[in-house]
Amino acid sequence: MPENNGNNMQGKGVSRRDFLKLSGLLATAMGFTALPPLEESGLPAQLNQVAQPAEVLMTRALETKQRLPVIWLNFQDCTGCTEAISRSVSPSLTNLVLNTLTIEYHETLSAASGFQVEEAKKQAMEKYAGQYILVVEGSIPLANDGAYCVIGGRTALDILKETAAGAAAIIAVGSCASFGGLPKADPNPTDAKGVWELITDKPVVNIPGCPAIPEATAGTIAHFAIFGALPELDGLHRPKTFYGKTVHDRCQRRAFYEAGKFALSFDDEGAKQGWCLYKLGCKGPTTYSACATIKWDQGLSFPIQSGHPCLGCTEPNFWDGGGFYQGQSAPLERPAATAVGAALGAGAVLGIGTALVNQAKKKAKGEAK
Amino acid sequence: MNPQAMLEFARGPFFYAALLFMIFGLAYRVFTVVALGWSKDRVPNKGSKASGVVKTYLKALLIWPFIPWVKNTFDRNPLIYIGGGLFHLSLFVVVILGTPHMLVWKSLSGLSWATLPLPIVDWTAAVGIIAMIMLLINRRINPVLRLISGPAEYLSWLFVFLPMVTGYMMTHHLWLPYENLYALHMLSVDVMMIWIPLSRISHFVFYFFARTIHGAEFGKRGVAV
Repeated sequence: MPENNGNNMQGKGVSRRDFLKLSGLLATAMGFTALPPLEESGLPAQLNQVAQPAEVLMTRALETKQRLPVIWLNFQDCTGCTEAISRSVSPSLTNLVLNTLTIEYHETLSAASGFQVEEAKKQAMEKYAGQYILVVEGSIPLANDGAYCVIGGRTALDILKETAAGAAAIIAVGSCASFGGLPKADPNPTDAKGVWELITDKPVVNIPGCPAIPEATAGTIAHFAIFGALPELDGLHRPKTFYGKTVHDRCQRRAFYEAGKFALSFDDEGAKQGWCLYKLGCKGPTTYSACATIKWDQGLSFPIQSGHPCLGCTEPNFWDGGGFYQGQSAPLERPAATAVGAALGAGAVLGIGTALVNQAKKKAKGEAK
Repeated sequence: MNPQAMLEFARGPFFYAALLFMIFGLAYRVFTVVALGWSKDRVPNKGSKASGVVKTYLKALLIWPFIPWVKNTFDRNPLIYIGGGLFHLSLFVVVILGTPHMLVWKSLSGLSWATLPLPIVDWTAAVGIIAMIMLLINRRINPVLRLISGPAEYLSWLFVFLPMVTGYMMTHHLWLPYENLYALHMLSVDVMMIWIPLSRISHFVFYFFARTIHGAEFGKRGVAV
């Protein structure tokens, strides 16, 4: 029997029922009711029947497709995105990412360590050259010749360039790998960069978020596994399926925003009633993410539902985008009292000066007459 | 420059610079006026200056906006009166009582206050935008207005109209993504703030000078305000 996703998962104790549930979950997460044009995907003709429900097609596609080799690199990160995936309560999802896809190298999850695991990575890169997916977690520092992140004696940039060269596609998971994230926050001491700023000759998908939503990561990898191509991306290289709408647009508290009912502090009556958190600094209106729809822990909740404003973690530079608890419409910086004073003073001095000069001119004119 | 970067620029350094320029420019203009000093009283006053000032403010705030027929401008061109009034009311409601704008004032001054529900602010904004369009048409049609309108008048109209219309589009998610419109809104606001001290939009400061001085002049002459 050829090794494919279906029998691989069954061999690892995932029941048929769980596998079907996973397929349905992925189909829903990717926004499919019926699958998009399949001719380019290389799927067998019998799968290319639009009338079939998406989850059935998804199941068959996952069953029949070859396993996808993945190399997962960690740079300046907190491993929170790995944690989010590995601790995702959805067992089938975890299985998909950790078992179905062949993770050939992962600092946290690989059983081997040291030079042995580095050797394993090297072998995988040779064996699957041009076929593997490179997942990057964490930003890449450039300051001081990359000295701030060195693994096995080599800089993050060096490792990234080498691994990216043989990758079919690159998926930057989390805000750090996508846009620099926390390490890039002002004053950015390590000169941290996101992957897409450094690798321009390969397709790079960004799955920002702090951490990235596990379903978005898994859904994007699964999309590549099934169709052999990346999903449609927006201007910031984010899959439109997961980042096509703002948190605000899908927020359960949106009606309160429209009605002008706002919580003014975290323990007032408005907060208890579940009113809008805009005045407490919610960044939902400018934050593109599926946070409010997919949510976390199997759809249990997401920050706004739990009473905390959105921080805007899927957008670039969100750490420097004004105070977390400051209204989103507020300017990023409040002018210092000295700056305002200086502007006022300069205006006053110049104004009085002009008035005096004008008076003197008028007087001189009068005397001349 | 992507929309996010443009938004950061418009909310950050550009806003900062525009605000300081506006403060500087208004201070300059106010002090050139203040430094002129009061005119001297050359004859004994017939009435009280102070009561003239109080009366003129009361009349301007409480009577003229609500009983328009006491002003003959209403008879000559009601459009300017009604359109201008609605526009100013709209501006006040949106900029002071709209939630996002209150948060701007709060971030700058630390003071906050209750705001109106979005639909009310929204309809008021629409009324303001329509009023502005009507006033522009009137300015183009009315021969006298047309004659006294130069580039500065049309620029003033444009620099106020752009923030209003981008703000409205942003609230309703019209045509462009939210953050693009937000960036355009902030850019237009920044440009307007730079334009304010250079133009007659600064009347929101000088109005009070004019009113006070007229009130005092009327008062001391014992003329009905």
